[in-house]
Amino acid sequence: MPLNCQSDQHRVSRRRWLGTAAAGTAAALPLFDPALHAAALQRSAKQVLFIWLDGGISQLESWDPKPNTEFGGPFRAIPTSVPGIHVSELLPQTAQQMQHLAIVRSLCTEDNAHSSGVDRIQRGDPKNRGVVYPYFGSAVTKLLGPNDSGLPPYVWIKPLSGGFMHKDAGFLGPQYGSLAFGDGKPPQNLLQHPDVSDQQQQERMEIRAFADQRYARGRPPASTDANGFVFSMGLELMQRRQLFDESTFSPGDVQRYGTHDLGRHMLLARRMLEAGVQVVKVNSYGWDTHGDNFNGSYSLVRRFDQPFAALISDLAVAGLLDQVLVIAMSEFGRTPRVNGHLGRDHWPEAWSLCMAGAGVRRGIAVGSTSDNGTWVASEPYDIGHMFHTWFSALGINSRETAWDNQGQPLPLAHEDCRPVSELLL
Amino acid sequence: MSGFWRNSACSGSSLLCLLRQCLPLLAVGCWCCDCVSVTADELAQRIDSLLQQSFTSAQAEPGPVSDDGEFCRRVTLDLIGRIPAASELAAFLGHPDPQRRVLLVDQLLSSPEHSRRMADLFHVMLMERRGDHPEWLGFLRTSFAGQKPWDQLVREILDPQETPEQIRGAAWFITRRLEKVGQQDTDYPGLTRDIGRLFLGCDLQCAQCHDHLTISDYRQIEFQGLYTVYRNTSIRKDVKFPAVAEQPLTKKTDFMSVFEKQSLTVGPRVPFGVEQEIPQYESGQEFAVAPDRATNFPGVPKFRGLQLIAQSLPVSANRRFAENLANRLWFVMFGTGLVNPLDQLHDDNSATHPEVLAAVADAVTAAGFRIQPILRELALSQAYQRSSAGAASERVLYQYGREKRLSAEQLLASVLMACGDGDLMAAGDSLSEAEQKRAESFVKAFGNIPGEPELEFSPSLKAALFVLNDPLLQEQLQPGGGNLSERLAAIADNGAVAEQLYRSVLSRVPDAEEVEFVSDYLGQRADARRQAIGNLIWGLLASTEFCLNH
Repeated sequence: MPLNCQSDQHRVSRRRWLGTAAAGTAAALPLFDPALHAAALQRSAKQVLFIWLDGGISQLESWDPKPNTEFGGPFRAIPTSVPGIHVSELLPQTAQQMQHLAIVRSLCTEDNAHSSGVDRIQRGDPKNRGVVYPYFGSAVTKLLGPNDSGLPPYVWIKPLSGGFMHKDAGFLGPQYGSLAFGDGKPPQNLLQHPDVSDQQQQERMEIRAFADQRYARGRPPASTDANGFVFSMGLELMQRRQLFDESTFSPGDVQRYGTHDLGRHMLLARRMLEAGVQVVKVNSYGWDTHGDNFNGSYSLVRRFDQPFAALISDLAVAGLLDQVLVIAMSEFGRTPRVNGHLGRDHWPEAWSLCMAGAGVRRGIAVGSTSDNGTWVASEPYDIGHMFHTWFSALGINSRETAWDNQGQPLPLAHEDCRPVSELLL
Repeated sequence: MSGFWRNSACSGSSLLCLLRQCLPLLAVGCWCCDCVSVTADELAQRIDSLLQQSFTSAQAEPGPVSDDGEFCRRVTLDLIGRIPAASELAAFLGHPDPQRRVLLVDQLLSSPEHSRRMADLFHVMLMERRGDHPEWLGFLRTSFAGQKPWDQLVREILDPQETPEQIRGAAWFITRRLEKVGQQDTDYPGLTRDIGRLFLGCDLQCAQCHDHLTISDYRQIEFQGLYTVYRNTSIRKDVKFPAVAEQPLTKKTDFMSVFEKQSLTVGPRVPFGVEQEIPQYESGQEFAVAPDRATNFPGVPKFRGLQLIAQSLPVSANRRFAENLANRLWFVMFGTGLVNPLDQLHDDNSATHPEVLAAVADAVTAAGFRIQPILRELALSQAYQRSSAGAASERVLYQYGREKRLSAEQLLASVLMACGDGDLMAAGDSLSEAEQKRAESFVKAFGNIPGEPELEFSPSLKAALFVLNDPLLQEQLQPGGGNLSERLAAIADNGAVAEQLYRSVLSRVPDAEEVEFVSDYLGQRADARRQAIGNLIWGLLASTEFCLNH
């Protein structure tokens, strides 16, 4: 037989693969049918950019400034592109993008320890039922189902080490974990072996496809589909490795985003989103300013401001802001009271986050805190409210859909919470 | 201890049988094997007649019997953990004896590679990729080499002893789970849960906090009675080998359901068994061997909960213990449990074929918990020997053979067998450092994450990238040392290359279409024949057919 297999012929049904994988983890009838759901959402092609500022960004030095008050600190508030909304002067460029953004100033959550808080917040702090909930990113990839990018659905760009991170997936099972690019670098074995040419690689894949085609005759297609799927994803990732090659970024972009870690990683995140990765998480560390909060925030917040504003602006210009949900947040805020080391400590009682993009109203600031910033003055929102809101923004009805954890029905987000309608389009 | 279970004992009333029950550590075979093996011998037939009933009532026919090649690959992978060498396959296919399948099964079961395979299999099943430890692996290998019965093996795990030296590694089952991870508390609930899951087929997770809401058998007391004993343990610090310390158990555990705020207590108790009294000693009199602060020796209490559990959980009177082994051995051979999930044995989750489960569990008990005779019977059943080709038209369970995931260990051994010089590896040889690294890389690429049981075939991007690009696989394709690549390169006739290639890698003869494919490809790549041969080997190694037992 001549080598005429077109790779398209062997492109597997990703939806089917996902269905199989789901059946693998859940023995009972699934309440949530990813295949049906994916079909419904196919046209929307929603994506998520989740920016995690690990350690806790100070709301007073960012989204909820209280200048000239007891705990306000030295920084001023500046007007933004939306009349009436002010942010800290440490966010000068982001202020100019306010027409795209939605700030939430009335978060009130439970946990004030990092070790548990990071997990708790990113899992949406559901009721404790003895199961480990998925992080938001894993939940989204499961709920939206695969898109047509051929790229891994959930990518995590972070400093330090990378690899396949299963922890995020919780009870969804390791296949919903993230593929982490440590310091933006691709995972192990992504580079083609030096002895193997492109031509050879292509031939090998054709031989593999021939063998699988032959084996699949008369057999249920689940195994060959699943196996074919991971090979084509691997190859896709290898062929698009220029995605991770920083030398191919335009000098103008590098300048606009900044040459520091967060700037480089945000620029990489933009590329991943443009390439179609469904969920991109970007981590920045070192926000735990127990000492010298003001000098710390001066450098940290401005280093966030530059690439964040650039990215929002770029997404808006490219028309991607209608499909990408952007969230920037930490595990909690910081105490209004300044401690003896000129620092601020952990404060889950009243803090802020910023969001933008798909399904989210633009140019608004929702909720408020007391005059000195200590308590939430409007209706307090727990992280469960945010999860419901984000799911809604992505077109997922989080009140009527349930997870199926091996027959155990579980709410997508905390059942005592609801979507915040004033944040939604 | 006899108060734990109604003493139905094993089916024989022989003295040795009773002795084995009373003196659990007495390492002797059951002499009633003779009378008992009659039962075991009948198991294959019994399974087939029961399954035939399910076919008949569904008006379905069983699928065709596997051909000899399909059977040889399947049973070799299952019983000795690798594909057959091309020479072994040829010998089997050419064997004139009509009983050659029985002979093959017996030959595989008596091979030293079988005990290694069993050690690997149970290592993965019991430790669920939490790493490994030389003493633990040594314990498993010695145990399976000596055909230790499952009840004895479990007893040694549940109440590990520091002597004799060959079995002290059993403690690692507990000590590995007691290791602290970060700032989290020692995971006593996890250890308790794993004992229920792995030895009784009962996941009592929900029962930690309340009676299970939907499973009536899983009450909170089932979890708490076992937890009472195991949360009293710690890792011994005074010795270098894995060893468990036990504090004196002086009082019952208080617990309360998260739903009904009512205080309850329980003493040591095997799940679904009878609670045991805790004998009271005067302060200072609790120890049979006193602790020694100077050496950090934790002492040995007079009343030991571990001993109590070890003497009363893994016994034939505990039906769930036998059913769990029956279900897990069935899973090993058939790729699915009679009860699924494997750790959800309870009255509301009946087996797909309850009589089959009962028959296998009876045989397990009758065989004195020896694993080999059960595997033998399962392998000799018609159900096991059905072809998996055509499974797309399966209407009734077990009409066709089923696909089974290969472990990282099976994959590595099979890659080496397929690509190597065709010589049989000597089992039990210790690994060089490079071989050890290679084995670890395979586990990293193909194993599940720690704590996650390896059940169904679940290809991953990580594994695909490993197969695509890792030097460890590429080096197998380089011709040299009489390996497959070199041998194939020396053959001029393309049809003969195809024949050798398929026999070595996929353990079967290629059909006409495949011979044509290989010949055409080699014809087109005459300029780079060696490279093309490497590509062919790679293509088959990466195929789903190679990656599965089917």
